[in-house]
Amino acid sequence: MAKDGGQTIGDALARLTGVRKRYGDTIALDGLDLEVRPGELLAVLGPNGAGKTTAIAVMLGLQIPDAGEAALFGRSPHDLVARRNVGVMMQEVALPDALTVRDLIGQTSAYYPAPLSLAETIALAGVEKIAARPYIKLSGGQKRQAQFALAVCGRPRLLFLDEPTTGLDINARATMWAAVRRLVAGGASVVLTTHYIEEAEALADRVVVMAKGREVAQGTVDEMRALVARKRIDCVTSLGLAQAQAWPEVNAATLSENGQLSITTADAEAVVRKLLAADPTLKDLEVRRAGLSEAFAELTQEPVE
Amino acid sequence: MTAILDSGPKMSVARLLGAYLSDAKYESLRLLRTPAFSVPILAMPILFYSFFGVVLNGGGHRPPGFADMMFVGWTVYGVMGPGLFGFGILVAVERNMGLLTFKRALPMPTGSYLAAKLMMAYVFAIVVMAMLVTAGLTMGHVTLAPAKLITVAAVMSLGVIPACAIGLFIGAWAPASSAGAIANIAYLGMAFLSGLFFPLSGFLHDIRTIWPTYHLAQLAHAAAGMPTEGSLVGHAGVLAAMSGVLILLASRKLARRG
Repeated sequence: MAKDGGQTIGDALARLTGVRKRYGDTIALDGLDLEVRPGELLAVLGPNGAGKTTAIAVMLGLQIPDAGEAALFGRSPHDLVARRNVGVMMQEVALPDALTVRDLIGQTSAYYPAPLSLAETIALAGVEKIAARPYIKLSGGQKRQAQFALAVCGRPRLLFLDEPTTGLDINARATMWAAVRRLVAGGASVVLTTHYIEEAEALADRVVVMAKGREVAQGTVDEMRALVARKRIDCVTSLGLAQAQAWPEVNAATLSENGQLSITTADAEAVVRKLLAADPTLKDLEVRRAGLSEAFAELTQEPVE
Repeated sequence: MTAILDSGPKMSVARLLGAYLSDAKYESLRLLRTPAFSVPILAMPILFYSFFGVVLNGGGHRPPGFADMMFVGWTVYGVMGPGLFGFGILVAVERNMGLLTFKRALPMPTGSYLAAKLMMAYVFAIVVMAMLVTAGLTMGHVTLAPAKLITVAAVMSLGVIPACAIGLFIGAWAPASSAGAIANIAYLGMAFLSGLFFPLSGFLHDIRTIWPTYHLAQLAHAAAGMPTEGSLVGHAGVLAAMSGVLILLASRKLARRG
């Protein structure tokens, strides 16, 4: 997939160049190139262990790459001047239990040169009801909301959100999405990692799919949506695997030991018609939308052209 | 690089200073609100002093000097607590629970994490000193003049730094699960083995100089006008050198995490 044009290379707010990172025997990042452009919401998708969180950690200077380079606002990620433009919501963080949400916002916003006021932060993050409560008294979802408030309080030009809506109820998720949209409308860039394709669909300008520490696809949301719009067909049939693979509508096909044929396709109706015509004894037919994990699995096996 | 990468509001010196102060404020606030920390740190020295220094002194019938020795001993004990536990347990726990990682991702000013804990330790130590001085003056039968008591307390506040250094060393190296136990053993061990509350003899007397509390107590005795052993510069030097080495070893461990 061709990279979107329009941005010169010097404009990236954050960039990873050929980054490799290994933990023991596990390769977390395997020569990853990634850039975040001004004003975009970049969604980084991928299965667990794909390297999304490590990529963010390297961009933030929390992990030192074994090879390659990380830059934040054209500087080292360790540079305080660079980090003053950044807001962060991490996946796992335990904040001081005895401080209230308001205290935590006050403490965090003091690190920034021109933060939002306390009232603005509370309103933007939608944490009015929990502002006076100690962090320890918050539910899991409320803790995520509080962490989101800390991420936005510094008026960041680049916001990192690592799986921000995990554990949130529908209303809280909608509030967070609205806040993210407002920030992007205000000119901020956002890097969002998520398991939820609908979250990327709702928010992202550009999507990068990662697997095994590498970028396996990148493009607009529509391009990714087409990928995920594929259907999966399962049936038990006497039909040979080679025969199914020969049909042009079939993206991928596998045959299990117990004779179950599984087909991934963008045109389920056409494939089902051919299946039924080719094998009148076909049984246990099932058609469903291919999950994100199936799309990812497919992507990792066959890099997108 | 294009202009977009270099623009952005500048951090004024006032705001930078404000960030350090705000970290110190919230660090103190959260520990005051954590009874598991604040109660033992604030209440134990005054409770122990009241029992051993006041009740057991039974109206001042003990030999001359007992009341003064008790007072000095418990100030040394009291001043060590906040730094030892504030750093020892909290750094180990926060290292473990991901708070340190989050703080490193934020534009927190350099050293503010440790500076806040140091200031917190001072805040707690001043409260402990104030309670001990008040108790000493009103019930302790001390022979020291009020001005001397306050001098002792002021000199003692220097003890916050070695206490923080020991705590930081424990916090940087000990696992979160055992840092509390190690800090407790170090705290009580140093207090009793350095002869703060009763005279030492034999082997314990010979090795008393290895404990920082011993050197701190000597400085306190000097401030109180009580008899001292060795040179004051020597005692201060040992405390400073020990603090420096422990802080160095701790920062090497903490920095190695990336």
